[in-house]
Amino acid sequence: MNAVALLVVLPLLAAFLTPSLGRVSGLAAKLLGPAVLLFCLGLVWHYSTGDGLPFSIALGGFLPPLGINLYVDSLALLFAGIVFLLVLLAWPWGDGSREQYALLMLLAGSSAALALSGDLFNIFVFYELGAVASFGLVVSAGTRAAHLATFRYLLISGLGSVLFLLGVAIVYINTGTLNLAHLATLAPQSLNNIQGLVAFVLILLGVGVKAELFLVNSWVPEVYATAPGWVSGLLAGIVSKLAILVLLRLLILVFDFPDAHNLLLLLGVAGFVSGELAAWWARDFRRLLAFSSIGQLGLVFIGFSISGQAGVMAGLAVALHHVLVKPALFYLAESWGGALGRLRGAGGRSPLAAAVFVLFALSLIGVPPLPGFWAKMLVIMGLAGEGGNLQITAIAAVLVVTVVEAAYLLRLVGSFYAGDGPEAVPSKQGPGDISRALLFAVGLLLAMVFVLPLGDWLSSVSGEAMNVPHYVAVVLQRGELQ
Amino acid sequence: MNQLPVEYLFFVGAIGLVGIGVAGMLLCRNLFRVLLALVIAEAGANLLLVLTGYRWDAVAPIVLPGMPAGTTMVDPVPQALVLTAIVIGVGIQAFAVAVLIKIYHGYGSLDRRRLAAMLDRDMNELAGVGPGRSPEAPAGKRPFPPPEQQEGRS
Repeated sequence: MNAVALLVVLPLLAAFLTPSLGRVSGLAAKLLGPAVLLFCLGLVWHYSTGDGLPFSIALGGFLPPLGINLYVDSLALLFAGIVFLLVLLAWPWGDGSREQYALLMLLAGSSAALALSGDLFNIFVFYELGAVASFGLVVSAGTRAAHLATFRYLLISGLGSVLFLLGVAIVYINTGTLNLAHLATLAPQSLNNIQGLVAFVLILLGVGVKAELFLVNSWVPEVYATAPGWVSGLLAGIVSKLAILVLLRLLILVFDFPDAHNLLLLLGVAGFVSGELAAWWARDFRRLLAFSSIGQLGLVFIGFSISGQAGVMAGLAVALHHVLVKPALFYLAESWGGALGRLRGAGGRSPLAAAVFVLFALSLIGVPPLPGFWAKMLVIMGLAGEGGNLQITAIAAVLVVTVVEAAYLLRLVGSFYAGDGPEAVPSKQGPGDISRALLFAVGLLLAMVFVLPLGDWLSSVSGEAMNVPHYVAVVLQRGELQ
Repeated sequence: MNQLPVEYLFFVGAIGLVGIGVAGMLLCRNLFRVLLALVIAEAGANLLLVLTGYRWDAVAPIVLPGMPAGTTMVDPVPQALVLTAIVIGVGIQAFAVAVLIKIYHGYGSLDRRRLAAMLDRDMNELAGVGPGRSPEAPAGKRPFPPPEQQEGRS
């Protein structure tokens, strides 16, 4: 048995054991999760530095397309690594309950499975599992507002899974398979029609619920404003990114036709414009972050709408940049989560936290030489390379809305250094939150320094992900029995 | 050849169930009814999935002793998928009902619009911002003002 399956099995096993272990020893329950996460991180590191990528393993001894497989390439390992790292960083050492530990491990396991899965059936199952874990984490805030926000999130998510299932049904009627590699061989003939487009729209809306896609993202501000800060960080950092990875795989392998790309572009622009405008209106820090997150994910969709490797690379760059920035901002929001007016003069009270915020804000806007600049640049260059009317309009929209983004972020930065506000609340920035945010800031600065090698590496990752014939060959021919 | 219309009837039924469910989710005001509408929509989606692999001239995909070789069987993959989807759906519904009870204890109501207004107020309170004007609020008077409007504004 290949050890890759452990990346999925171990976190799920830990999630299963944690509640019962917690009855015997609270400390053991607290340490089991991080130990498993560290082991999984080591495993990811081992595979990503070793050679022989990409490879595929058939689970249960049935070869694809009949059996279920895990597909391991640099992209999958990258996202699995991000999942484990972010869950480890968000681990609530001080005030977590054993139920929260279990849900976190459930989230880690299902997210890793989403990254590795090569089968539409499995993607659906683990997508729902991750959804349940995120419901539980949001509800763990315990307030009545959190309960209501979760319920509304659950309704949209449930509607999303109905649409996803309908899309899967249409795909299955037309092709008779659910294996992604097998679908990739059949899609050009059997899904390149109106039914394929309908299936794509249904699946896009289904997965889009978690990816904060325009039309199905009304849960985002409510949930991010009522959940514990570290949970919001995880949702913005992991759950939305994994949904995006699923969408990317489907787009490359199954739905690679121009109409799908144009639709993605439209929804992406709508998300970017509406998210950033709503963030401009927001009057408290958390909802500002939530709306800005919708906007950033809109930008990711705009990136993916560009055909070819340039699009994949642009979308991935924006997504990875968002992974670096947004969780850190939600950690800052743990103590700053309040009316924006209350943050007046925060620069004097907690200079370090304010400096970190300024760094992230500048990168979000896209001020060179911060990584956010290069990510936005890739998107705009890619759109310009396409050169259609729609694309040029999208460039204009992105640039104009970036001004709005700069306006509200710099307005906030300005108020930090504008002397003491009317209600000078003593800063309660806990050492834990600021040190977590600092870690992300260091990561951001390192990414800025090593932007050239990072760009080369990202280019090779997206090139590998784009290589459909290779994917098919790896899964269908060389998927050895383990 | 009277199988074809029957099969179409099933397809229409499945898609109709989804339509009823989605309409119910959009139109019902009581959150419990909204949840039930979601359950109906899920049933429709599951039925459609089963239909994708169903054949009228086939038997269940289980090999029994004494079965002649080459017996036509229905496609088991959609059935397995639907079984999984049903189990997931039941789990989520149970969780949703539990959360709904908590909501009722917390707010004393299950009316969607009233709850939305109260959630908005709770979030503003949590964040420490005043009620203020919502950017989505219409400028003038609505032709049919919802009864809870005053409550949400207070």
